[in-house]
This record gives sequence, C-alpha cells and structure tokens, in this order.
Amino acid sequence: MSMVLAVMYREYRIRTTSLTWTFYDLFMPLTYLLLFGIGLDKAFSGGISTQGIVLSYNTFFLAGVLSMASFGIAINTSYGFFVDRDNGIFYEFLTYPMTRGEFLVGKIVFNCVLSIVQTIITISLGAALLGIPLQPERMGLVLIGVVIGTAGWFFFLTTFALRIRRNDMFNTFINVAYFVLMFASSIFYPLDALPSWLKVAAQINPLTWHTDVLRFATVGLGALDVVMIEAAAFGVFMLVSFWFAVRTLQNAILK
Amino acid sequence: MDSMSDAAIGSENLVKVYKEKSSRPVLALDGLTLDVREGEIFGLLGRNGAGKTTFLRIITTLLPPTSGKASVLGLDVTRAALEVRKNICVVLQENAVELYLSVMDNLATFARFHSILRGEIERRAKRVIEQFGLGEHVNQKVIDLSGGLKRRLQVAKVFMVDKPVVFLDEATTGMDPINKRTTIEAIREEARKGRTIFLTTHILQEAEELCDSIAIIDRGQCVAKGDPQTIKSLVANILEVTLTFDPLSEAVLNELRQLDLITFAHRNNTVELCVRGGQVSLLELITKLSREHKVVHFEINSPTLEDAFIELLGRNLHPTEGASV
Repeated sequence: MSMVLAVMYREYRIRTTSLTWTFYDLFMPLTYLLLFGIGLDKAFSGGISTQGIVLSYNTFFLAGVLSMASFGIAINTSYGFFVDRDNGIFYEFLTYPMTRGEFLVGKIVFNCVLSIVQTIITISLGAALLGIPLQPERMGLVLIGVVIGTAGWFFFLTTFALRIRRNDMFNTFINVAYFVLMFASSIFYPLDALPSWLKVAAQINPLTWHTDVLRFATVGLGALDVVMIEAAAFGVFMLVSFWFAVRTLQNAILK
Repeated sequence: MDSMSDAAIGSENLVKVYKEKSSRPVLALDGLTLDVREGEIFGLLGRNGAGKTTFLRIITTLLPPTSGKASVLGLDVTRAALEVRKNICVVLQENAVELYLSVMDNLATFARFHSILRGEIERRAKRVIEQFGLGEHVNQKVIDLSGGLKRRLQVAKVFMVDKPVVFLDEATTGMDPINKRTTIEAIREEARKGRTIFLTTHILQEAEELCDSIAIIDRGQCVAKGDPQTIKSLVANILEVTLTFDPLSEAVLNELRQLDLITFAHRNNTVELCVRGGQVSLLELITKLSREHKVVHFEINSPTLEDAFIELLGRNLHPTEGASV
C-alpha cells in the first residue's frame, strides 16, 4: 500500500507544479460542455429524441463529456510514460521496491481520484450554469462509471505507450484512435439513426459501452439489461487491458 | 549454499542475447561469472559495448537474462525480483530526475519510494543537500539546472536511503572535479558503513583509487578480475617512461618509433612512452639514447590500471558492440 501511495504522491507533486495542468485536469470537461455543448444545444433547440425520450442536447452530451474526460486523462497519463522515459526516470522507477502492478495501480488510483473531482465539478457546474438536471441519488453510480472508465482506458493505452518506442508514432496512434473511437460511438449522437455499418462499429466500441453506462447513470437513458451487458463488457475490457499492461511492463522494459 | 549465493552480488554463466526483429541476434553477455563480497567497492570495467550496462540491467531486475543465474544478497534476480529491489538502489547511466519537481521534491519523492518517514526525509535531505552542495538550488525546478547538477542530484538521491547494495553506472560522468571528489568521498563513507558498492566507470584512475576489487570484461566475458594491484601485476612488465631531450630531434623520434611500444606521444622536447619489457632492457634503452642524445630528465613509472586495461583489451582495438551470434 505504501508504494501505491508513493506513486500517488509523486503524481500529485508533478500535477500541481503547473496551473495549466490543474485547469486541464479539473475544468476541461466543463469547458468542453460550455463551448461545444452550448453551440449544439442551440443548433438542436428542439432537443434530441432517442429511445422515445426527448432530452436537451446538453443533458444528452453530459455523459459523452465525462466519457471523453476519462479517455483524456488516460491519454495524458499514458503519454506520461514517454516523458518519464525521456527523462530516464522510468527505468529508475522499475528498480524501486514495488511490483509493476503497484506502479500501475498507484498511477491509476491517482487519476481516478482526479476524475472523481473533475466529474463532481462538471456535473454540479453543468447543473448550475446549463440547467442540466441533477440527480444526486445516481451520483455514486456515475462516479463508479467514471473510475472504471478511466482505469480501463489507462490500462488499454499503457500497453501501447510501452510497446511503441517512438513518441511521434504514439502521437499518431492516439490521434487516429481518438478520432475513430470518438466519432464511431454514442458520445455526440444517439446511435438509432446511424447507417447500419456505423451502428455496428459503434456498438462494438468500448467508448460507446462506457458512454451508455454513464448516460444511464446521469439521466437514466437506456434499457437496464442492455446497459448491464455493456457494463460487463467494459469490465472485461478493463481486466484484459490490465493484464496486458502488467505483462508489457514486465516483459518489454528494455531492449 | 553455493559461492554465488554467499556473495553480495553474484552471477554464474550469465548469458544475454538481444533478439531484434530487424537485425541479427547480439550476444551481449557470454557466460559471465562474477562475485562481489559484502561491504566492498567493486568496479566493472570494459569498453563501450562490452556488456557492463547489460549486466547492470539484469542484476537490477530491469532485464531478464537469456540463461545463467544472477543474485543479490543470495536472492535470485529473476525469481525474487521484488525482494532484490527492496535491497538495492540504483543510479543508471541515463539521467533520471523529475524535471518538473524541485531539488527538494526529487529527494523527498525518492525517499518516499524507499519507505523513509516524513520527519526522517527532512533530516536526511538536509544532510545530503549540504554534502552535495545543492543548497542554493534546493527550491529550483530540476529542468532549470545544468547537466552536471542534474547528475549530482541523481547521485545524491542514493544517499537518502540505506539500502545494503548500491549500483552506480558511470556515476561521476559530467561532474566537475570538486563534485567528483565529493561523490567519491561519499561512496567511500558508505562502503565504510558496510554497504556494497558496485560501480561501472570509464575513468580508470577513479576505479583504481576507489575500488577494492575490479573485473574487466570484454565481449560479455570476464578478461581479468581481482584487486587493482593484482590486475596491474598481470601487466607488470609494462613501464611508463617520460624522457626530456635537449633538443628532441627527428632522429630520436625515428629511433623510438622503431621500437615495440604500447603507446607513444611527444610534445615539445618530451616523449612519453609505454614499453613492454623488464627493467634491465629499459635501462639499456635509456642508456643508449643518453649516449647519443642529450637527455635532461627521465622518469619511470610502474603500470597504472589504465595501462593494464589497454594491454588487456587493446590488443584488438576495434569497436565492440556485442558479438553477433
């Protein structure tokens, strides 16, 4: 446990050295919601109709923003492996008295705490500034969803960050992955009206599973049985990603 | 218990082959057997690509060996990697500092990873900051420090903790002579307390001055090992000679160039040469030269570790980057 706390302490010290990072970590999703959300909310002034319910675009988009924020935190943290590797500190870490699992868990627990604070700020200010209905009784479920999402994406991206040796290659990979996963998902629009090929692509996309679970948790949208399947699928995705991340960290440390 | 597990650091027939998809496999360690006694300062020497860093990476659990065994305090580095890591601290060849943290925060975070309590961290940091002359930079972010200061901080971190085995890979690289001296003194002091220090260095004078025991490796194999005197005795018939002529003529240079010299250099009226052969033959040479030319000064020195290194490894002076297999 002390090693996990030491990793968290180190992450905390680094994140708090820059006001820009602090702003990004805490307020970026809200900023996204305020800029992008308000624009689309006006464009779809009649609201979004899906599964027989009409919602304001901001209400619909809240889960998408939270899901994107989890993905964003995971990108930043996995990108941190490159920074650590360039600074040489990455290899030194691996000689510290901790397991590879503790190293990853410490990083992810810190980022999960960060995502919880970020979510609370986004939801409460989203309610205050944009009138998104607040459902305090569902807050616990939302936070669990955000934490699992952040962890899942972090483990998934860590595997690539450790396997890809070149910084520019990893950047390209992330840009392509972000673009494809984000737009072939339910983040920005409901899947009902999509062409069938895109709908299938979106339905097998873990970002859709995560967003749907968060949408169910934030505004109650979606059938419980479908959401349960998506939650289970994301859980499996997270565990498999964790296994790959630890294995990669153990076996592909230095060439 | 075998001899390897008795040693503070040991390896037995250690082999490492790098297999890259894009190139032929490279044999970095070729059956390396070493043992380092508890509480000694041990130096691993060798040319670039000889296998020093590979050995260090295996022994510090960063890299698995292809075959053979390696252990620290009797703990197998592959099977008990975590236990090994609990007993070591490492300064790697690469700069390893937290660029965005201050000097103080670097020391504190490192100490936390080694389970030092908060109050104790402050006390130790104060001592280390003073010892390594980091006082005026204590609150500065490391990204703003010079390369030498970064290296100094990296080495200083090791002295925040009390792990019984310390690995230092080219620890004094980039340091000015005063800090180098401080670091050497600190290493000596730690060894006196009973810690085992394992270092790799290219600075042979430093190794000669500091190490209780030395191993020279080449192409992943041990070429020589023992205390510095033993290593030097392997090339005991080598002598360093300095001769000053008045004047140094082309004829003298031509005469000297015809001899079987290990090294040869001249500047102004002085020549420095390293010659193989007994004391008698050397005196004959000097007598002959002084008969024909005016010698105003001469000096004969016994071999240094550097002479031994060159003699042992320099016979095939070509770059080694590990052997292909």
